[in-house]
Amino acid sequence: MTTVETTAASPRFVMSGDLTQLFYRLAAIGLICVALSFLSDAFLTTNNLLNVLRQASLVFFMASGLTLVILTGKIDLSVGATVGLSACLAATVIKSTGSPWLGAVVGIGAGSLVGLANGVLVTRLRIPSFIATYGSLWIVQGITYYYMAGQTIYGFPPGFRALGSGYALGIPIPVYLMAGFLLIGGFFAKRTTYGQQIYAIGANSVAARLSGIPVNSRLVLVFIMSGAMAGLASLVFLARLNSAEGDIGESLTLPTIAAVLIGGTSLFGGIGTVSGTFFGALILTLILNGMNLLAVNANWQPPVTGAIIIFSVWLDLATSARSQASA
Amino acid sequence: MKLSHSMLAFAALVAAASAARADGETIAVFTKNQTNPFFQNVRVGTENAAKQLGAKVIQYVPTKPDSIPEQLSQIEDVIVKKPDAVVFIPVDYKAMVPGVEKMNAAGIPVVNTTDRMAGGKIVTFVGIDDYQVGVTTAKSLLNAIKGKGNVVLIEGVKGSISNQDRVRGFNDALKEFPNVKLLASQPGNFQRLNALQVMENLMQSFPEIDGVLAANDAMAIGVIEALDAANRKSVVVGINGTKEAVDAIKAGKLLASGQADPFMQGCLGALAALRYLRNQPVPSEMHLKPSVIDQSNYQQFDLPVEARSCPKWGEAAIN
Amino acid sequence: MTDYSVIDQPAATKASILARVPGVAFMLVLLFVAFATTTPGFTTLANLSNVVVQSTILLIIALPMTLIIMTEGLDLSIGAVLTLTSIIFASVLLPTGSYALAFAASSVVGIMFGAVNGWLIAVPRIPPFVATLGTLGIAQGLCLIVTDGQSIVGLPPQLQWLYGGTILGIPVPLVMAALAYLAFHGILYHTRFGTYVPALGGNREALRQAGVNDSLVLVAVYTLGGFMAGIAAMLLTARMNSAHPTAAIGMEFDAIAAVAVGGTQFERGNGWLFGTLLGVVTIGILRNGLNLLAIPSSVQVSCVGLLVILALFVDGLRSTEE
Repeated sequence: MTTVETTAASPRFVMSGDLTQLFYRLAAIGLICVALSFLSDAFLTTNNLLNVLRQASLVFFMASGLTLVILTGKIDLSVGATVGLSACLAATVIKSTGSPWLGAVVGIGAGSLVGLANGVLVTRLRIPSFIATYGSLWIVQGITYYYMAGQTIYGFPPGFRALGSGYALGIPIPVYLMAGFLLIGGFFAKRTTYGQQIYAIGANSVAARLSGIPVNSRLVLVFIMSGAMAGLASLVFLARLNSAEGDIGESLTLPTIAAVLIGGTSLFGGIGTVSGTFFGALILTLILNGMNLLAVNANWQPPVTGAIIIFSVWLDLATSARSQASA
Repeated sequence: MKLSHSMLAFAALVAAASAARADGETIAVFTKNQTNPFFQNVRVGTENAAKQLGAKVIQYVPTKPDSIPEQLSQIEDVIVKKPDAVVFIPVDYKAMVPGVEKMNAAGIPVVNTTDRMAGGKIVTFVGIDDYQVGVTTAKSLLNAIKGKGNVVLIEGVKGSISNQDRVRGFNDALKEFPNVKLLASQPGNFQRLNALQVMENLMQSFPEIDGVLAANDAMAIGVIEALDAANRKSVVVGINGTKEAVDAIKAGKLLASGQADPFMQGCLGALAALRYLRNQPVPSEMHLKPSVIDQSNYQQFDLPVEARSCPKWGEAAIN
Repeated sequence: MTDYSVIDQPAATKASILARVPGVAFMLVLLFVAFATTTPGFTTLANLSNVVVQSTILLIIALPMTLIIMTEGLDLSIGAVLTLTSIIFASVLLPTGSYALAFAASSVVGIMFGAVNGWLIAVPRIPPFVATLGTLGIAQGLCLIVTDGQSIVGLPPQLQWLYGGTILGIPVPLVMAALAYLAFHGILYHTRFGTYVPALGGNREALRQAGVNDSLVLVAVYTLGGFMAGIAAMLLTARMNSAHPTAAIGMEFDAIAAVAVGGTQFERGNGWLFGTLLGVVTIGILRNGLNLLAIPSSVQVSCVGLLVILALFVDGLRSTEE
């Protein structure tokens, strides 16, 4: 384990701390899998494992965009509402034009617009991101409700539905997408200047600004990306559910935040990885899957999720050699 | 002489005209949330009925879905506005009793639809016999699988009275088919996504599921999506008779849907309220006849709700 | 009368608090005038009294939330804890008929959750968002497990007096909220403990160097939140004459929004208790007015978001740049 003195975070130190985090999570996943395979016959089947991967992918799409936002030290509470709006708009376009591609453009576009609005609220109007995205959550939800007027849009072309429920070479298509975004996201965060700047902003936004990083533009960028990923996630939801209703994203915000936190990304910013979020989503889904297979009452899911969140953050704090920035 | 005659005649004419014209009552309609199409259909029904009879309807829906404190606040706000009557679907049939009592104290007549209130004075209850519909719908599935095999039950929201009655109906129907095994009974919260995930998990645990009893259509459709994605087949039934369910029945994916006809519930709720206000007789219980929509009779329900029109009082199929 | 809450603040921020005074008050007056002139029935005593009484439960949890936010913290669990303590209150009242016992039981549970929150944040230094998100899940789960999704009914009808009754003509909830407000005002502005609270947010090092056990203060602040949830739970149970496992879910966000709209900032410990009161009332008036105008529910949803953003935007315009 590396001992690190904290002044400004530099990429090299961040990497070793990250590997520690990822190691613990990988170990946790291994432990959970071993335990579940003993506890339930149905767990270690190909079907179930693919299922878990597919369910995790849905959380991951939203959580990966959110990770970038949290890395800068901000938060985006509106991801669930954005999924709802994007899904409903995309659904309308797909139904009326018959073109999933057009629907995808509209969905991701709508999500990006919401992200842009959030970014502006936070950078130009200087509203704390918690409140700004809480406000935009309500505004977006209101727009979605008004637009849908209590109706359901359903029945999409089978080619589109394969996006959510189809298989290729025996593996669910969302899993390929997830792998793709894992690679792209990881690359973006760690190997591009944009990514390094995002980490720098999270670690110390004043120092970042002083060193010439365009903080406001990067902040707007991460919010747009969070919104765009929410838009993408909405397409997969549409494909899976084969329908859109006004509240399609409402129950997703907390699991998304949970996945990011369990994955080791710090709310203070500057610490965390997209891969960590992937593991976080996987851990969360595995636990929920296990509870379902063991027929544990669904009422236990919120407390177990809460306990895991607290535990994983505690673990990171306890094992990290980095001292907390003094509050 | 002539002048006073014509004035009398004129007065009589005006009186007759106003009696024949709209009474202009205002009815406040309370529903549970904005996103479940069931309640949208109820709202459309109330507006359709009110329009036919020249009355006005104001909709009250909580901004937070199914929020008890919000519906209580809306009731208090509504009492200030003093509508002529209220058509009321409680977000929780027990917790809203004080709300109904407040409306009683304010002298506002309340027509209760869909979820029967556990207390408070109401003019009438309009709805379906959820228990009976549960039994009939389940039986259609159990007969379809020839009384043998494995089934699972997907429940709705635990605290909802209509859910409790429907599930009770399912279970009682199951008792009459001893060769059918109930593998699991899990809640799907009346939501599509929940039911889909629950079904996916059940499919992992149980390789053979012959039938699925879903307490509402949204969940039934979620179950169907899960089955389709996994390339498995089961016989599925739901309840509510939504347009989407009818389409699924047409496509052969859904066996049947128990009729709840939310549009009609809205119609009758508003009609009952208006009749009460106009001093016309209103029965204390109004149940839609229990029926099941399936391949044989779906055509009459294959209409978008906007194209439908409320029946006149006395024409509706109630018992 | 020394205003302790600004004692650690530089003069510039002191001025900015005064500059912020019209912020939420401005929105409140604007909304009030707008509704008074356009909405029949808004300015009746019955309606205004309704709005005030409807706001009391939120105010009672927004008061400790103000202190918590002043420590640069958050309590996301307070809505779930409120629901849970309401369930405990009803569960004990039902068999025993003893209000004292029921209150004791629910307070204990509230205090426990608050203390756990405070401990998690003070000792292993888990970020407040994370710690309270975790306890939110635990409290929420307990609500559902204890009740299995069902309401608890059959409570003695006298219970409703707590929400619907009056003392000397003043509604009971209003009396309770007023007492709570006075208590918090006293704690924050007239006790040594009250000076520690913003210091926790603005200058924790100084506090420690002054020999104060900052962890203990932190735990106390969150425990206060849990206790107030227990108090608000009585009003909630009385209002519904029952307890329901999802009754107050999400109320923590309303409280946080009210505190933020009222001018308390998330950073550096600037706080304004009266602002929270104004924030709660502003949100209440907005909802009430929109209901009376029969504005469609979807539009209402957006209006709430707009209010929050506008209030903070106006704040941002008025306060001095850092």
